[in-house]
Amino acid sequence: MRVELFYTPGCEKCADVKDELKAAAENLIPDLVWCELNVLDELDYAVELGVLILPSIAIDGEVVFSSLPTSRQLCSELMNRVKMGA
Amino acid sequence: MTFTIGKVASLVHVTPDTLRYYERAGLLGPAAKSKGGYRLYDHEALRRVRFIKEAQQCGFTLSEIRALLDLRASDRACCTDVRRVAVEKKLQLEAKIKVMKAMAKALDRLIAECTSESGPLNVCPILMAFDKGVKGTRQ
Repeated sequence: MRVELFYTPGCEKCADVKDELKAAAENLIPDLVWCELNVLDELDYAVELGVLILPSIAIDGEVVFSSLPTSRQLCSELMNRVKMGA
Repeated sequence: MTFTIGKVASLVHVTPDTLRYYERAGLLGPAAKSKGGYRLYDHEALRRVRFIKEAQQCGFTLSEIRALLDLRASDRACCTDVRRVAVEKKLQLEAKIKVMKAMAKALDRLIAECTSESGPLNVCPILMAFDKGVKGTRQ
């Protein structure tokens, strides 16, 4: 599973929370791939996925959160996807 | 120094109706009213109208511009907040461009299919495609 966090540089909200989200996600799914993408460097890809609001989180190429979720919300979404894929 | 609505309109190249519309949208207000009840604007109003016009040129809607003006007036906001709004607007514009490019490509295909200049309308490939649904225009 691949989680992509789209952010703008200097976003304090992202800096405060992303490490916590990453740790929670990796703790839940050890082989999870976590990517942090500066939207200005990945603009075409962000547009392709439909990212319109920042920060946004995409899971396996689908924008799932258009604001930063809590660790619990993210883990819940990841678990749902694991169950659906199982 | 204050200005009448007509004077402001001529200084910033908009119509008085536009200024009244901005007022209804909560973007602009007169600094005072004359004894006769006419709106009187100050230099800050001129600055706001120029701001609104420039932001519109970059694709911002009036409600988005109101949010930008609120950010500008906020003690807690910083440049990063404005930059994020600008990046989000760029994302929205790029998304619209993508949709428009898909529309243009769909039209290219239809135009290429329509080779006859004097065929009857009931076999017009463009109209027939619209009846059936044009591929590539839906997201």
